[in-house]
Amino acid sequence: MVSGAGKRQRLALRIAAVPMGLLALSCLYPIFFAVNNAFKTRDDYMRDRFGLATQPTLDNFVQAWTRAHLNEYFLNSVIATLGAVILLMVVSSMAGFALASLRFPYRRFLFAVILSSLMIPVQVVLVPFMRTMLALNLVNTHIGLILSYTAFFLPFSVYMMTAFYSGLPRELIEAARIDGAKLLQVWWHVMLPLGMPALVTLAILNTLSCWNDILISLLVMQKHRTLMVGISALKGQYSDQIPLFTAGIVIAAAPIVVLYILFQRRIVSGIAVGAVKG
Amino acid sequence: MTANSLRQMGQAAPTRSRRGRGRRAEARVALLFLLPAILLVLVFRIFPLFWGFAISLTSATSTDPGQFIGAGNYLRALDDPNFRSAMANAVVVLLSVPIFVTIPMLLAILIHQGVPGRTFFRSVYFFPAILSSVIIGSIFSVVLSFNGNLNALLNLAGIGGVDWLGHSATALPVTLAIQCWSTFGMGVLIFLAGLSTLSKDMVEAARLDGAKMWQIWWHVIIPELRPIIEFSTVITTIGLLTSMFGLIYVLTGGGPGTSTTVPEYLIWAAQGRLNRPAYAAAISMVLFFMTSILAWLQIRILSRNANI
Repeated sequence: MVSGAGKRQRLALRIAAVPMGLLALSCLYPIFFAVNNAFKTRDDYMRDRFGLATQPTLDNFVQAWTRAHLNEYFLNSVIATLGAVILLMVVSSMAGFALASLRFPYRRFLFAVILSSLMIPVQVVLVPFMRTMLALNLVNTHIGLILSYTAFFLPFSVYMMTAFYSGLPRELIEAARIDGAKLLQVWWHVMLPLGMPALVTLAILNTLSCWNDILISLLVMQKHRTLMVGISALKGQYSDQIPLFTAGIVIAAAPIVVLYILFQRRIVSGIAVGAVKG
Repeated sequence: MTANSLRQMGQAAPTRSRRGRGRRAEARVALLFLLPAILLVLVFRIFPLFWGFAISLTSATSTDPGQFIGAGNYLRALDDPNFRSAMANAVVVLLSVPIFVTIPMLLAILIHQGVPGRTFFRSVYFFPAILSSVIIGSIFSVVLSFNGNLNALLNLAGIGGVDWLGHSATALPVTLAIQCWSTFGMGVLIFLAGLSTLSKDMVEAARLDGAKMWQIWWHVIIPELRPIIEFSTVITTIGLLTSMFGLIYVLTGGGPGTSTTVPEYLIWAAQGRLNRPAYAAAISMVLFFMTSILAWLQIRILSRNANI
């Protein structure tokens, strides 16, 4: 059964595993680099930048957290991310319920309107977007950032929820299509709990998008920096204090890394679905 | 609640008039449910698109609404060295798309063919893709700085260091390489999703016919992947035109000179630092035109593949 060709193929795959392994290590190296240097003292880093931290210190984290104001930035990012993720779940679940289960005029058209905005990234509307934010008094407010994130990450979420609710058994949808006055309760008591698998995936993916964002928060939050804006400012200020800077990087990346470790499968499958269908 | 609504459903639809009233009530509620989503999208994205086009035809500044100047901003762009180099850089970026598509495709095929360690590769390759471009840019700015780790390593090997990000010849290729490194895991994921529907029998049949590995790749696997290759090409291109801001902002600030200024970065600079919002709005329209063509292609590809 083991033919010559099969043997040769297995050898070829084994050889390919070497560069692929190196590539895999390169994917882990930057975060190792950041963590390792974050525990070094400044002299430690000067003396040996490649080696492991010999006398690990937490001082860099303390300094970054307090003196470099990462505590404030962290809080701003948490507020904006949490607020936007919750709002995205509510708004996309409501819209998905209406689009998938209810009958009304212009249903397809309204769905197309929401999806078409995928073609309008923030760069394309940068100037009028800023003017809108100024006109609505939303610049430098948390609610402004939350609304912006929701608007820019919404179409994909609505698409996912519409697709999810469309896949539910018809009887459930018929059960939901009762007397108009009760529809809000139907959504709250039936559709929201049923949608949880999709909503949790969306919550995780949207957390990544909001937490990692730089351009929107750079525009909206000029006074109260988010973590990513803070880190990019830190880069200029502390360019001669690499251990302190890398401690900041570790603090900013930690929530995402934890999320990835906890929900790796959900993230990967959610993005695969989104990429192939969206 | 569920039981209750089921019972009510059983009672629903007794008379026509009541059903008609129900329909109208349902439509009203449905629109209310859609309202938040529609409002957000209209206020922050669709309405600004039209407003932006109107602004692009004026001489507005941040304080003054300006006058109608027609295509003035667009004509000015043609003479602006910043815009010209942004477009030239965009061409370089677009020329790199085949690399951005091919590398993940080859890696995905290798993983699919059962390379040793594939489960590990799969999960690790995706790791950079979840990190913020700010995090990645910050780390690479330290590693690649003139007195950074890479140059220290090269010095040990007796090779003189290069100011990777401070040199106009290397800044854009290095930035693109980092972008490629940080997003290839996403591409691997997309190709693996495509490969999962690949018929194993066909590959097996080709193998039994005595086809060599490269023949199987070239004549069986890659033709089967064609829809995924097209799809990946379009979304990679859109991604490269609209999601490199963070990396450029942190790594190079568009420099040295304008060597890493791409259209999306120029829009941001013109709006803020250069205080020329009307001009920024005009470049936005140029970018929109570019991404619209790509989106049109994407829709065509998706609908054609759906027809198969």
